[in-house]
Amino acid sequence: MDDSMQSNPEKQEIAEFVGISDEMELFSDIPKKFRKTDLKISPGISEYEVISRALSIGELNRGPDMINFLGNGIYDRVVPSTVDSIIGRSEFLTAYTPYQAEMSQGALQSLFEYQTYMAELTGMDISNSSMYDGFSTLGEAVRMAHRINEKRDILIPANIYDDKQKVIESYLYGLPVRLVRYSVDSKSGFINIDDIQSRITDDTSAIVVEMPNALGIIDENVPKIQQIRKNALIIAYVDPVSLGMLSPPGEYGADIVAAEGQQLGIHMNFGGPTLGILSFRKDYVRKSPGRIIGETVDSNGKRAYVMTLQTREQHIRREKATSNICTNQALMAIAATVYLGTVGPSGLRKIAETTYLNSRKLKEKLGGLKVADKQQLTGKPFSDVLVSFRKDVNGLQEFLSTRGINGGLALSRVSSGAASDVRNGAFFSTTEKTTDGAIAKLAEALEVF
Amino acid sequence: MAYHEAVYDEPLIFEYRSGTTYKLPGVEGKQKIDLPENLLRKELNLPEVSEYDVVRHYTRLSQMNYSVDLGIYPLGSCTMKFNPKYADAIASFRQFSEMHPLQLQSETQGELKILYELQEYLKAISDMDAVTLQPLAGAQGEYTGILITRKYFEVKGELGTRTDVLIPDSAHGTNPASAAMGGFNVIEIPSSENGTVNLDALKAALSEHTAAFMITNPNTLGIFEDHIEEIAKMVHDAGALLYYDGANFNGILGVTSPGIMGFDIVHFNLHKTFATPHGSGGPGAGPVGVKSHLKDFLPVPVIGKDGDRCFLDYSAKHTIGKVSSYTGSFMVLLRAWAYITYHGSDGLRRNTVNAVLNTNYIRKRLEGRFSIPYKTLKKHEVVISTENTGIRALDAAKYLIDQGVHAPTIYFPLIVHEAMMIEPTETVSKQDLDRFVDALIESSKLSPEEVKKHPMNLPVSRPDEVKAARDMKVRWDGSTHGN
Repeated sequence: MDDSMQSNPEKQEIAEFVGISDEMELFSDIPKKFRKTDLKISPGISEYEVISRALSIGELNRGPDMINFLGNGIYDRVVPSTVDSIIGRSEFLTAYTPYQAEMSQGALQSLFEYQTYMAELTGMDISNSSMYDGFSTLGEAVRMAHRINEKRDILIPANIYDDKQKVIESYLYGLPVRLVRYSVDSKSGFINIDDIQSRITDDTSAIVVEMPNALGIIDENVPKIQQIRKNALIIAYVDPVSLGMLSPPGEYGADIVAAEGQQLGIHMNFGGPTLGILSFRKDYVRKSPGRIIGETVDSNGKRAYVMTLQTREQHIRREKATSNICTNQALMAIAATVYLGTVGPSGLRKIAETTYLNSRKLKEKLGGLKVADKQQLTGKPFSDVLVSFRKDVNGLQEFLSTRGINGGLALSRVSSGAASDVRNGAFFSTTEKTTDGAIAKLAEALEVF
Repeated sequence: MAYHEAVYDEPLIFEYRSGTTYKLPGVEGKQKIDLPENLLRKELNLPEVSEYDVVRHYTRLSQMNYSVDLGIYPLGSCTMKFNPKYADAIASFRQFSEMHPLQLQSETQGELKILYELQEYLKAISDMDAVTLQPLAGAQGEYTGILITRKYFEVKGELGTRTDVLIPDSAHGTNPASAAMGGFNVIEIPSSENGTVNLDALKAALSEHTAAFMITNPNTLGIFEDHIEEIAKMVHDAGALLYYDGANFNGILGVTSPGIMGFDIVHFNLHKTFATPHGSGGPGAGPVGVKSHLKDFLPVPVIGKDGDRCFLDYSAKHTIGKVSSYTGSFMVLLRAWAYITYHGSDGLRRNTVNAVLNTNYIRKRLEGRFSIPYKTLKKHEVVISTENTGIRALDAAKYLIDQGVHAPTIYFPLIVHEAMMIEPTETVSKQDLDRFVDALIESSKLSPEEVKKHPMNLPVSRPDEVKAARDMKVRWDGSTHGN
């Protein structure tokens, strides 16, 4: 039996009540010439066959069993089993946006907790309840800055990832805003404070800083930005895991913080879904995009959670809304919440410190190889270790791939703006999973590159 | 069916203090970090909670959350259909989930093949010529379509004059928001008395200033825009583009298509039509399809195929660039691929028929009891008004949720007073349809005072939303609640 009104008795009953005998009567309002006569997709197959097909396509992938040194935004971190267990619960997984607060207290409270976690982690007053991903969140952050002060210039580092800049540009397309690039010191990898200062005018809306920056460096000049900012807003793009160890951007004067949250308990997922984190100072909440959960009481005085400040949003304000965002990444926000709950602040610090110490170890090891250039960046990497080689690194990733290692991403592949500053640069990223054995294998492989 | 949701006086995670028990690899003890003092974090005020308490806490919270796995969830324009479990199973395979987006294409042929096949599926379903999977939600898909529109007129040298986007008054709120984000003026087109686009008003608004007309068909009243051929001609004669909001695709999939109807751009909501789980608010996915004259404007990369090999194709000449970090929300795309592969051409079409059948069943059962404005025959959803019963839509909704039935979308579309927008989808039994309808009818028989007491069976009664907005308590402030 299939589930059609011709063969399913329950459907027949419904059709009789509706008063139709032929299913096309349901579509009598669609002009005949517009009827679709062919749907060029194979007929349906069984669950068993779909799963088998997926498994055989999955076999075409390589990666899960390789040694991994790829990072630059998406990281191969430990995902505690608690995370997949909780976000796999169908009560969270298969619910819609919590429009009916009384029957959605579970998601609402979890997202309220997420907001608290993110505000605390970034040192901001308020976090919304999630955005799409890191790059688009930065795009929205830049729009938000322009809404706040209506100024023209957004200062960005000259070495920002090309794709990140492209996404920001997409988010600015309709606005009277321009991007102004400031330089980065090619010895240390730190941002050039004097250059930023010289570019700040009365028409500067915001300065975008990254921590760690596009070269993977923990940028010791970033905290100096607050002394030269004048009236410009500071937008910090940060690695949330690094905040287990590094000062929160709130301490160096950030007004808006944007981040990619994949590292907080989300699998690499070939880059999606991940999590966009957006937090900011309280003064700017009415200019902010995205859904926000608030605490209140119910009619009996009992604590309750609701979506609040909705008069900023598209379903109420339509063309005057602060953003068009509707669906967000709620489940990934819950994942990040369970993650932080599980590892705790001591665990997050341990993860950050282990990553940092592994990156120092890796840098030392690779920097000593014959193939490595004598001159390396003096700034210290957090996770993405940029190594300069004596020869062209095009083909390095392919070379390592044949030896069972993922890594060696050419700097020129992610940042054309930085490629001229750092000769023959390639990235190797560490996490808390990186072992000494893996670093030794990598070094061994590189010796014959 | 008696219904009581689990009710816990569940504290916040911040009120737990059982101590972290989770074991991680890595360095032990206090580390000396050779960085300037001002770069190092002094304190991180987060709770140390045991693994068992974390799991119990979120499990209890999950039990205070209604979901589509518990029953009918008839939110209009949200297409809350059953999310198949085989798609979850496939999305859990580490061959897919442990892949890094910056891996070599030679290593990611499996991921790329899934994406390529999904692009082809969506082309076949929509009769469009090219598809990007990059947008991460329906609204981002809309915005992508708006950026394509801008770039198209920029290349044609008409961007200076094409300043307006026309949108019906019954449209989803994201449409005007997306158009405005792209720098266009939004002009609202009123509906006619039968609930479809007012052609005279459209004609009057169309001009050399029009960049696009954005509509959904069937519209948010669940009515098919039967003058779509004339609309397409009028829009194209004015030199403008016709944009299809795919939120309501479930009412026509396999029966007609935006391509056949003359649309130039369409976005899909995979978390609606293609049954990917909505995750309490997201993630979704909002692929965009275009006709051949707009193919060169798509964001890059799209997935190409050369013999057996799939590849990232960056060749689009007038590309708008990128709208998100990588190639889209892969795990959502994978689930949609699984859904389409499973149902196939026969199942997809049957799902549409059953969804429309169920909607019309609800419509017919509610006739006479509630006013049901506009044309009789509905597609994926039906909009009723509770105005004639003396009960407010909000109150009826609160009665419904007390019976263990998720309420329809309320107060939308804006053109219907006391609106309830009901979309049952195909994955609901007659028993559940009847339970929903019976509960809705019961609500209309209560006195206004009685119905206002609901909900009573849920963890909380009606929340004070004014207080929430006024107090703006949007993070834990350190106080305990002594629950």
